[in-house]
Amino acid sequence: MSSGLASDEVAEDYKNSLEDLTTNDRFQISNLTVIAKENTEHAMAISRVLENHIRTTPPVQKLPALYVVDSIVKNVGTPYTLFLGRNMYQTFMNAYTLVDSQTRRKLDEMLKTWKEPVPGSLDTRPVFPPEITRSIESALIKARTAALQQQQARSQQEVLTRGRVGTPPGWASNSPTPQNPARYPPSTTSTPPMLYHRNGGPGHGFPSADPRSTPTPQLQQQPDVDLSALNRDIEVLITAARSDFANNPLDPSIQQRLKALLDLQGILQRQELTQEQLKLVRDQVSALAPKPAITVPPTLAPVIQAVSTPSMAIPPVQAMSQPLQQLLNPGTLAELIKTTAVRQQPTPPPQAQNILPQVPSSATPQPPVTSNPENPLIAALRARGLLPSASATPTTSATPPSNLASGFPFIVPGQVRYTPPVPTPQAIETSNVQVNVQMNTASIKIPRNVLIATLYESKSNRCGTCGRRFFVTDDGKGKKARHLDWHFRTNQRMAEAAKRAQNRSWYVDERDWIKSREVGDDEGLVETETSGEGTTGSDGGSAKKGPPKQWIRAPNDATLRNTPCPICQEKFESTWSEDVQDWIWQDAVKVGNRVYHASCYAEVTKDGPTPAHRVTPSGRTGTPDSILGKRKAEGADYPGQNVRVKTESG
Amino acid sequence: MSLPGLDLTQPSADNQFAPAPPTQISLSKGSEWRFEVAFGTVIRAKLLAGTAELFGTELAPSQTYTFSGTKGAIYTWHGCTLEVSAGDTGPAVDGLAPGGMNGAIACGLGAGGCQSEYTAEETPMVEYANVHFALETMRQEAKATGKDGPRVLILGPANAGKTSVAKILTAYATKVERQPIVINLDPNEGMLSVPGTLTATAFRTMIDVEEGWGSSPMSGPSAVPVKLPLVYFYPMQNALEAEGSIYRPIVSRLALSVMGRMAEDEEARETGIIVDTPGILSQGKPGSLETINHIVTEFSITTILVIGSERLYSLMMKNYDNKPTSSASAVASDERITVVKLSKSGGCVDRDAAFMKGVRESQIRTYFFGNPIPSTASAALSLSASSTTNVTLSPHAQQLDFNSLGIYNYTIASLDEDEDDYDPSQFGASDAFLPGGGNDAEIRPTQQQDETSRAMPLPGIVSSIEGATPGTAANVPLKKVSPPAPSTLANSLLAITNAPPTASAVDIRDASIMGFLYVADVDSEKGKIRALAPVGGRVPPRAIVWGKKWPGEVVGLVG
Repeated sequence: MSSGLASDEVAEDYKNSLEDLTTNDRFQISNLTVIAKENTEHAMAISRVLENHIRTTPPVQKLPALYVVDSIVKNVGTPYTLFLGRNMYQTFMNAYTLVDSQTRRKLDEMLKTWKEPVPGSLDTRPVFPPEITRSIESALIKARTAALQQQQARSQQEVLTRGRVGTPPGWASNSPTPQNPARYPPSTTSTPPMLYHRNGGPGHGFPSADPRSTPTPQLQQQPDVDLSALNRDIEVLITAARSDFANNPLDPSIQQRLKALLDLQGILQRQELTQEQLKLVRDQVSALAPKPAITVPPTLAPVIQAVSTPSMAIPPVQAMSQPLQQLLNPGTLAELIKTTAVRQQPTPPPQAQNILPQVPSSATPQPPVTSNPENPLIAALRARGLLPSASATPTTSATPPSNLASGFPFIVPGQVRYTPPVPTPQAIETSNVQVNVQMNTASIKIPRNVLIATLYESKSNRCGTCGRRFFVTDDGKGKKARHLDWHFRTNQRMAEAAKRAQNRSWYVDERDWIKSREVGDDEGLVETETSGEGTTGSDGGSAKKGPPKQWIRAPNDATLRNTPCPICQEKFESTWSEDVQDWIWQDAVKVGNRVYHASCYAEVTKDGPTPAHRVTPSGRTGTPDSILGKRKAEGADYPGQNVRVKTESG
Repeated sequence: MSLPGLDLTQPSADNQFAPAPPTQISLSKGSEWRFEVAFGTVIRAKLLAGTAELFGTELAPSQTYTFSGTKGAIYTWHGCTLEVSAGDTGPAVDGLAPGGMNGAIACGLGAGGCQSEYTAEETPMVEYANVHFALETMRQEAKATGKDGPRVLILGPANAGKTSVAKILTAYATKVERQPIVINLDPNEGMLSVPGTLTATAFRTMIDVEEGWGSSPMSGPSAVPVKLPLVYFYPMQNALEAEGSIYRPIVSRLALSVMGRMAEDEEARETGIIVDTPGILSQGKPGSLETINHIVTEFSITTILVIGSERLYSLMMKNYDNKPTSSASAVASDERITVVKLSKSGGCVDRDAAFMKGVRESQIRTYFFGNPIPSTASAALSLSASSTTNVTLSPHAQQLDFNSLGIYNYTIASLDEDEDDYDPSQFGASDAFLPGGGNDAEIRPTQQQDETSRAMPLPGIVSSIEGATPGTAANVPLKKVSPPAPSTLANSLLAITNAPPTASAVDIRDASIMGFLYVADVDSEKGKIRALAPVGGRVPPRAIVWGKKWPGEVVGLVG
């Protein structure tokens, strides 16, 4: 079935057909398979085309292309298996690193079929030779393990993974390279460029397979920072600082510098930093490497010069056109250290420190603007209209310093919380404002500010935690008090609950839902755990062992939960309590280590000493009461129980 | 189960943005700040001055709100100043100094952390608020006369802002201490549950600012009061699937429960209900008008809000405006339907398939694992409790015997539209297109199964319940999945109904849902599946419905 065409023509045709394959279309894939089969004499060329296509096609189109490979090797077999097998590791792994998780699963499944013989075939050999599939598999396993370990290591901070790669231009060097720097930082020595394509980017080419295409932790969520290299660098800097210190023991700047470096080292060794932060540190450290002094461009706005010393690392003016964030990097390490080191006086490494010396001593009541290393920059940027979002509105351009400072509350002592002016209550008693709006298309277009006030101003009493509004009336105040109680209890319980595992509850069924009533967060608990006054009118307020509760929280422990009431041998039913925001057992009482139905317990204890003895568990011992009946003599030992019995029967 | 990019958070193209310090955004009266945050990106917003609300729910001053994987708008009636910064490590960083350091951003992104963000002066908020006041007028009347409160139906094409309007109306209603029952009939996106569910929930407390509608009950406390949804499972994306023959009965059942609640719950009765619908109903598809009519009738709708579709508006005007409602008392009280056109907000953005997939995955993840992002409460608590106080849930993984579970699956031919996909594990399916002859490919006999009318590319779908209740059940394409356990169970959701495993197909279809299992692994040979259950202990012996097509696969939920 030779087509008689030259290999490169066939290849070109095949390439074009492949490019039309954008979705997982069985028909197209079959066609491509047929073409491949009819042109086995050009198998090598076609294989190359396929490999190239898979490498260069956008991630979303990689799967169909790989399915073509799959179809060809299964339907046609040799010589394609041979040609495609050669580079299969790179082809597969390259694609695998770039596609999303759904596709990965599909690839996993496909790989699985490659380890088996072609279904229905007499040939018992697997689709691809085992060494090929094995190498891919082991690479995948390695990557998974490494990724898992890494994920565990930083599980706390995984939401905050935002890669900022490379040294920011304009900070580390005098020649900024503003070519789309956010996406393609100029100096990315530590990261394979592939990363930028990972998330289904546009279909440009990928670097051809290199050994690093094996997914290793390097290819994680964001590029890793080589911790050991970083430590090494810091070590070098510390050594240098030490020798400086030895030469100049009285120079406070060297002292500070050394201390900052040592702190930084300590932080790194405690491994408290996220990858994100590590990158910042790395950038800063690399910036600390000896380099020609950075000159301040003479064109700088006066406002900057007014607040900064010439040594301040102001990026060159050209850099102003770059993303704001890169301009503001000088302060980030300072912030990092500030937040990490407990309340320690900020001691950033020298470069940043150069900025700090102008910080007026906190006693000087200067405008707080100057107390933040970033603020001069921001001010400068504002002045130049380079801070778009903030300066877009006229109000900000005239922002008083105090307002600016509120944006940086961490640096301004005493200005912890910025309390915004609550909209002035117009003293409208809107609780009885009659809302009367017709529901029609014309009517709803009329602005009604008076009515908006019913949502806002008329309830000027606000909860600071959730923003809920209350009337300033006594009723509103009462509600607010209960509401705040609710917050307090919830916060307490959340702190408690953080210690134990929690889980989603089952949804209620129709009947329960219809019967259920929403309980607001302003109604206070009907019964709390400490007041045992249940609706059943239980006694026991005076009992020393604590009054019996008519309900208890359903235990978390599975065995406990499945333990029936020792008296009636029936299991407890968990019900959701809106009050407690937890599952509870109604009509349950915990005595000692065991849980009884409160009614059963009351029933039994009421009937005089004998049954009471029989079931009264040992409240003071930790042993499970598996031998309830044998504890007769102990009845008298429990004054609490006796009191209880007395009050019950009397 | 983690590989590059396979983490719990999807990497986003914005990952490479360099950090920036907090940005202040000043909003003038009646404007709003619209923002889009990718999945895996976290931004924090804080109200510094003035008042602000997110879809009707007011922000507390000086509280830090965290957003991720969302597109939202913060509106202000009075003007406000917001501070926006990138999510930081927050309480996770050791040694946050008590007080003052709370707002410190160790690695800020600034407003640039959003995929897109801008301030808009023109919003339809006046209209939306007036709708609330008009509803409030009706509620006052309902209270005075003992009638039922307004029942609102929100219609409009996809991405017109239906759910946002529903949220705004709900938030305003709870703000004036009403208790609306909010009904989500859109299987694309869950409300207080996973996608593929139709739910009804009475809202009395505030909607969670950060987390969609909030959270359904958990074993522990929640900083924002939990909401109690009644959940039905509709495992299809399209409400009109099979001519709505599955959707409509479930809607009827849901309506029945809601009416039951209204009859008994005075506050819910006075406040009325708010129904959010899938966009497909408003896009002129065949069968959609019948489905709309079904909803209008079942819920005795009094008010139809049409957003962003002139055509649908005129159609609704023609069909319903000033017609009596279907409520039993309509004749006596002369209750009539009003149809109102609402402007679509300029902030409505199309949410592409990838984003919606992200939403689905995050809803499913949240169902099992809680909210991984530190919430407001944790920010507020970070002074006292430095540990993460955001709610992390611990689902229980367990081995289940496939044969002991009664798993049912909807088998509708049109659902299997991806049958033309090439599937390497189904090798041979494409042999028909290949020239026959001397190679090693042969047609596997099992492939023939695919061609049957009720095509399920799975072994072992047998109709075992059709005979149980002939007549009605025969119309319900709900079939028990018989052994061996199909491998496609893996990574999908199973809904545990409240119906016994031997119930008829009709009962199973109409049953409300207890909860969901997530199938991590399937061992077809041993007939075992490894599943994640929200609650520990035995899986309740109930009929289980498989969400094979919808919400579909979620990969990487468990390792």
